[in-house]
Amino acid sequence: MSQMHGTSQTANTPSKPETTLQWCLSVIPKSDYSAFPLYWIRIPERYKNQQEELTSALREVLIDPLQEELWVAKPEERDVWIEQWNSRGFRWWAEKQFLPGVTDNLAHTVQEALELKKFPDVSVSSGAGFIFRDRLMSAEDAANLRKTLTMHKIYSDAEAVEKASRYTIYHPLADLFRVHDLSADCSNELLTFPAVRLPEPPSTVPVNLELDDSGLETLSKDRLLALTLGEMRTIRNYFRQKHVQQFREKRGLPTNPTDVELEILAQTWSEHCKHKIFNATISHVDFSSGGRNKVVVKSLYKTYIQGPTRELMSSRKDLLSVFKDNSGVVKWNDDTAVCFKVETHNSPSALEPYGGALTGILGVNRDILGTGLGAKPIFNTDIFCFAYPSAELPTRPKLLPAKAIMDGVRKGVEDGGNKSGIPTINGAIFFHPGYRAKPLVFCGTGGVLPLDVHGKCGYEKHTQVGDTIVMVGGRVGKDGIHGATFSSESLHEGSPMSAVQIGDPFTQKRVLDFIIEARDLGLITGITDNGAGGLSSSVGEMAQITHGATIELDKIPTKYPGLADWELVVSESQERMTLSTTSLEKLQKLAQKHHVEATAIGTFHNQGFFEVTRGGKPVALLDLEFLHDGLPALELEAEWRPSQITMTSGTVPADLSKYLLRLLAHPNISSREQVIRQYDHEVQGMSVIKPLMGERQQAPCDAAVIIPIYGDTTGLAVSNGLSPRLSFHDAHLMAICAVDEAIRNMVCVGADPDTVTLLDNFCWPDPVHGPKNTQGKLLLAMLVRACQGLADAVRAYKAPLISGKDSMKNDFDDGVVRLSIPPTLLISGMARVPDVSKCVSMDFKQPGDLIYLLKVGKPGLAGSHYEEMLGWQSALIPQVDLPKAAQMYRLFHKAIEKGMINSAHDLSEGGLGVAISECIIGSGKGAKIDLTHIIEIEKKHSEASPFPFSAEKVLSRIDTMLFAEGPARLLVSIDPSQKSEWEQMWKGFDCHEIGTVADKPRLTIWEGEVTVIDVALMDLERSWRTALPFD
Amino acid sequence: MQKPEAIVLCGDGINCDAETSWALNLSGFEPRPMHVSDLLRNATALENAQMLVIPGGFSYGDEIASGKILAIKLKERLREALYNYIEDGKLVLGICNGFQVLVQLGLLPFSGENDPRIVSLVRNTQLKFINRWVRLQVFPDVNSRFFTSLREIELPIRHGEGRLALEALESGSTESTEQTVKRLAPLRYTEDVNGSFDKIAALTNPAGNVLGLMPHPEAFVRWTQNPSWTNRQVAIKRFERANSIAEIPHGLAIFSNAAASLN
Repeated sequence: MSQMHGTSQTANTPSKPETTLQWCLSVIPKSDYSAFPLYWIRIPERYKNQQEELTSALREVLIDPLQEELWVAKPEERDVWIEQWNSRGFRWWAEKQFLPGVTDNLAHTVQEALELKKFPDVSVSSGAGFIFRDRLMSAEDAANLRKTLTMHKIYSDAEAVEKASRYTIYHPLADLFRVHDLSADCSNELLTFPAVRLPEPPSTVPVNLELDDSGLETLSKDRLLALTLGEMRTIRNYFRQKHVQQFREKRGLPTNPTDVELEILAQTWSEHCKHKIFNATISHVDFSSGGRNKVVVKSLYKTYIQGPTRELMSSRKDLLSVFKDNSGVVKWNDDTAVCFKVETHNSPSALEPYGGALTGILGVNRDILGTGLGAKPIFNTDIFCFAYPSAELPTRPKLLPAKAIMDGVRKGVEDGGNKSGIPTINGAIFFHPGYRAKPLVFCGTGGVLPLDVHGKCGYEKHTQVGDTIVMVGGRVGKDGIHGATFSSESLHEGSPMSAVQIGDPFTQKRVLDFIIEARDLGLITGITDNGAGGLSSSVGEMAQITHGATIELDKIPTKYPGLADWELVVSESQERMTLSTTSLEKLQKLAQKHHVEATAIGTFHNQGFFEVTRGGKPVALLDLEFLHDGLPALELEAEWRPSQITMTSGTVPADLSKYLLRLLAHPNISSREQVIRQYDHEVQGMSVIKPLMGERQQAPCDAAVIIPIYGDTTGLAVSNGLSPRLSFHDAHLMAICAVDEAIRNMVCVGADPDTVTLLDNFCWPDPVHGPKNTQGKLLLAMLVRACQGLADAVRAYKAPLISGKDSMKNDFDDGVVRLSIPPTLLISGMARVPDVSKCVSMDFKQPGDLIYLLKVGKPGLAGSHYEEMLGWQSALIPQVDLPKAAQMYRLFHKAIEKGMINSAHDLSEGGLGVAISECIIGSGKGAKIDLTHIIEIEKKHSEASPFPFSAEKVLSRIDTMLFAEGPARLLVSIDPSQKSEWEQMWKGFDCHEIGTVADKPRLTIWEGEVTVIDVALMDLERSWRTALPFD
Repeated sequence: MQKPEAIVLCGDGINCDAETSWALNLSGFEPRPMHVSDLLRNATALENAQMLVIPGGFSYGDEIASGKILAIKLKERLREALYNYIEDGKLVLGICNGFQVLVQLGLLPFSGENDPRIVSLVRNTQLKFINRWVRLQVFPDVNSRFFTSLREIELPIRHGEGRLALEALESGSTESTEQTVKRLAPLRYTEDVNGSFDKIAALTNPAGNVLGLMPHPEAFVRWTQNPSWTNRQVAIKRFERANSIAEIPHGLAIFSNAAASLN
């Protein structure tokens, strides 16, 4: 593909309408098969006399001669294939092809390979073929059919084939899937080369804003601008101003805004980019204490996110760049900084999970690449919130099956991480029926960047007036324009898919290699990624550095002709970076070496506006101040009423062993091995604490530790915490628990709590009150309270926030059913491990070691998995003591530094019982636990209370002791020789010896004379390793 | 003494180049990371190098078949130089995706220009990508310059297509393909991890200077990379067995063997 090379003159020349030959190819395995690759290719006329050479090149490229053969057919020759299959007893043949405009990575690779074989300009489209039967032929046949991997079934009609294939072998938003009846003549219905056909693009037009309120609202809705009436009015008023009109007239622009301008404004002012809810003025009314307490919060972001961090900055000199760049940057050593960002990709993953998750991870990788002068990604961390597939979940026509979402997301992250060479070092999978509405897909990436790049500060941008604007990477298509709002029905067959985006990790890996080398050569003065909002966002934001920018649409390379001007500007086509340079020529030469397209598309200036031109004439000219600061603040109302919970409870069940085993098999607790093994978590060779450690590689570690710099001994711990099950009890506590979990996970493996930095990711149901959203005020109040909880925890733990993200519309509403996610706050953490040789894993190490429970505050049953399992509901929420917990973590770190601790594990889902079981499973050993003593202590507290279900009474029960959940609790094992020093150390804390590590692979727990739990390791392990329903 | 130079191929989707360079550096090589485009443009770079390393990764996104397109690229543009290089007895090491590239190039197990290709690396029987640490047994009778003095080792595997599959040799051959391949396998998994023929994890050419292996030696050059290192640490602490630290991490030993064989 000569157009892959980075020169701008080839950029916009669509392939000339040359006469072509069309072939269809099929790669047929030599062994038994039921599915096989299909290719449609278009061959330029000039290869007419080289058909044999071309065939042999195709054979070399497409097949493994030891395993496969290649069938080549002209369209009219495909009857032969049909006869073949028909005669072998197949009834249905299905063809799968990408819908026009969907990224086809395989086809790009085939084209590049053919170019290597001296056949450039052959167009390729990849797909797959499937053959099915309608009856069994013989017993042998049946045996074979069982062996084949994809098709176990026989189908009586074509519709059944389609139905069974939907979401398993094809996705209706990304693929065209057609089933043919092989017994009839289907040769005319076979698919041919899919071409994007677009009418001549509409030229830029002015949009009349001199409308009444309902007119403005309709306009916003029809054009999918997602602007409120107030915002539409603000825009109209801007364009009414005399000086604006005069300036526009002088520049040859209409009085009304052009469609390009309106789209740029809508994109820049979107919730996604401007975080309108977090910056809104909120009147918060608290009804909790019977009265009516009203406070006005000017901006949640400034008050509760930025505020506490600013306070901590005087004592935390390592915070180099927070809340302003694409990721938060923290000083690592004298030469290097580390940066971290977590993004969500929920809506795209709900629509097309594979593509959604894949573009999610590649997108956050680009955030790192676009930090400062360009950072190198060194780890990924991914957190998924799903609804567990089960019959009770609502099914709606527009909702994908829950399992299809899980499988697609898992696979998307596998391809995104593995193919980019970025290890997935840590993550979480959390199930709750509320995520039926929308899965939450959090993709996080960390990176390293040099503090000094050719004498310039590496974590700042140095773009100057006159620098060239360069677009790097993929070309622009209709991808992601207006995101998910398009529905498939409104599209015709030749129209490129815009709702679905498939990422291309290979192209992005090339871009990554290129950017890092360009940075090191000093060729980059500033860089940012093209994510949501495309060029409008990337150039629009970078323009603030020099105070102006102009881009020329004629120079932008496109995937296909026919894009309107406004589409070019807001398209979210993937794998693109925008950078500024003063050395265009060198940069393009380097790009050529990396097979990356780098196109100069404009210039940064200081004239105060963002300009877009076509043919030298402006089609958009927006004042930068208005563009970025003209947005009126939202005014919202919140009302807090504490949750009313009907209490249901019961007595201690007889067989607690059974409940322990059931908890271990709970999807939120069971082993993640099957997912972890499919993610490369070691590439780049930095790992110290991996997701699964120990001699059995079964110990689920609390946090990951890597060494960011080869040859160094300082480690970087990474973790996450979330606790959405508490949201409906108390959002304030939910936020605290999320922070605590992230921190205690890191502390467990050996991180220094004084070096923690955090990221916040809020995913909320729509908190803006409206006729369709009657819960809005309460949801907003929960958001306010969660922010307050977050601020409290940040201050108490002295753990600053360095970056964050919010996603505020996680609802599904098809007019019949409204489904919303539980309000969710994900906290991701990063901290320093001074010496990795001191790191601790969670598995017990040696028989005879003493086991301790170390805790602050009280756990609770509310929101616990134990309570859910028994169908109970209580208001017994955890009690936290933040200052004391902060103290405990710091002291704990000292113990790790001294080498006193042999294993440490945090108590989380499933409480103490599950934590001990996991330590046993991880080690292959056993434990003898005696809870008599700690239960007696709790009983002393409860004596005063006369009520059988008072909090004190419940807390002193054995089942509560085993399965209650809450923050700030750790399970530790130490060598007996450390006993006195250890106990001395924890005077004044709740630190209790509860048992010993045993040789015998068995867990035994006593209370007094009673054996409450007695289970063999084998049984614990069998339950815990209950597979999650992933493919 | 001057360190032997090792070219570490990078670009085009290769992604283990950084840690492979670091491992080479630790083991006495002078690593020289080189983009595929740069090597193709300047094949004479091979003259100064004692070893060519094709690291792991996802060259060309693993599309069509892993290693395939990078192999076509090298074959189209570097064929002659590569054969000469191997004939000179210099070292070639392909790790994971690099192994797949060497097989696709037809350089393993026979590296002669007219030798037939008799093996493929195909999808694991599990049909899944697998990242886990495995135990491996070294077969000292197989001629290789990489495994000197090693017997049983641990390394991670990280692949989806690492199952060795065979094709029958042309008739008239004196020995069956099975025997040939077994004779040229210096490293086997101690248990069946991916369905590979005869549990084979690595292949060498008869001269012992070309090696391809699926496990990642560059991922075990310090003890804290081993998933059971924290157990080892506790044991060391307890018994003061300081001498057990002296054992070289197995991946590093493989690179060091290669370096030693050049001196």
